Amino acid sequence: MTTARAAAIVFGREVRAEMRTRELLQTSIVFVIIVVTLFNFAFEPDVAEARRIGPGLIWITLLFAASLMLNPSFAKEQNNDTIYALRMAPATSFAIVLGKTLANLLFLSIIEIVLVPVFSVLYNVPVLPVLGRLVLILFLGTFGLVVVGTVFSALSAQARLRELLLPLLLLPVMIPLLTPAVEATAGLFADSPALDRTWLSMLIAFDVVFFTASWLLCDYLLEE
Amino acid sequence: MKRYGIFALILTVLMFFAGYAALFIAPDEATMHAIQRIFYFHASSGWAAMEASMIVFFANVAYLAKRDLKWDWLAISAVEVSVAFWTVMLVTGPIWAHPVWGVWWTWDWRLTLTLVIWILYLCYMVLRTLIADPERRAVFSAVFGIFVFLGVPLDYLSIRIWRTQHPQPVIFGGQNSGLDPTMAKVFFYCSGVMTLLMILLVVKRYRLERLRHDAEELRLAVEEASESAGMSRNL
Amino acid sequence: MHIQNFGSLFAAYIAVWAIFFIYDFTVARRIARVEKDLAEIKSQIPHK
Repeated sequence: MTTARAAAIVFGREVRAEMRTRELLQTSIVFVIIVVTLFNFAFEPDVAEARRIGPGLIWITLLFAASLMLNPSFAKEQNNDTIYALRMAPATSFAIVLGKTLANLLFLSIIEIVLVPVFSVLYNVPVLPVLGRLVLILFLGTFGLVVVGTVFSALSAQARLRELLLPLLLLPVMIPLLTPAVEATAGLFADSPALDRTWLSMLIAFDVVFFTASWLLCDYLLEE
Repeated sequence: MKRYGIFALILTVLMFFAGYAALFIAPDEATMHAIQRIFYFHASSGWAAMEASMIVFFANVAYLAKRDLKWDWLAISAVEVSVAFWTVMLVTGPIWAHPVWGVWWTWDWRLTLTLVIWILYLCYMVLRTLIADPERRAVFSAVFGIFVFLGVPLDYLSIRIWRTQHPQPVIFGGQNSGLDPTMAKVFFYCSGVMTLLMILLVVKRYRLERLRHDAEELRLAVEEASESAGMSRNL
Repeated sequence: MHIQNFGSLFAAYIAVWAIFFIYDFTVARRIARVEKDLAEIKSQIPHK
């Protein structure tokens, strides 16, 4: 079985399992709406301030949401003891990690489809004129986030206090992604929107480095 | 252990001399005066911290390649010791910055990077406390350590582009940024002493980790033996 | 030697020594504890 095919099977299994109950998605969507609302009470921004802090708000919300919603990705295998089935499956660990990563990418993208319009309306920041470029940055940032997040989810799933441990591992490692993602998004929300090439290449570099790392190290995540 | 004591004693003498050299032998700095003398311990601690961090990365990779727990013991020893040195940097930095810059802290790239690395190593230490099985703890902390290490150049780049306010590098900086020869001598002496101190602390911490492992092994053996003894009595 | 900001310099030097000393102390204490454990376990062996 090729890696691509095995990954597709794992991806399909994850998505079907989620679509049966949709509990992860609905919980996370409510969570991001709460966070976006809380920011208003904490900072009470006017329109100009909203444009300035908006990019940070979006990315911090996504980081927090990811550090909570990626947790079940491997933890549920631990609870159901299906981790043994996964270990014995005729698929490489990379295929399993890749399938789960892509499923998480899909889930987080769905969260973003809700988050961005809600943010845009509540804070009066127009996103439609820069939508194409915003989607590109969101995709690159989210990809890096789920690549590292899925690997760390496998680590924290097999430790104590895993719900608390995952944010602890994930958030500080995300700093070199947060800075370019926020700055690139800020470039799009500026008066004359522009896509900053430097920050864009930083995002791509992050994705490449950590995707390679997860490919090289995923064998160690699922062993006995 | 006796050798360790002698080494520690010699190092203490060397450290006192480093303090003396930094305070009295190094020439006065033209604009910052006395406060600049923090540099000799501040920058050399940073040097030792970086060396310890390199050991961490090397030990993490070696563990995954060789699967020998000794590499894991070295990794956690070097992590803890590097945290001690990064802490020295984070404490002496603001003490220097306050009179010179007028603020305790700025989000300048070097301060920010030091803080980020310090936090990442704290997370590494927390991760280890939450996994009981020694093998799994070793594997997972090695994987996390490698992710941390890969992130540091990216942190460096992103923070560097984002902020710059720190004094320019004087050791490996541009052509005009040379250090006074006596200052350089004192600095390299201090860096050497800090490196020795780092090695000494790593050796001591490694011994702790090895003892813990021995104690755990022995406890399991005793439990097993008493269990089988209990079983034969029951039979 | 100028004595301007000498207080800060003094504080920094004390801090450096204190951090290393405290760290060394905590390691020594942990070693002592493990050695005590080890001795305790060893003392159980002859009784088995």
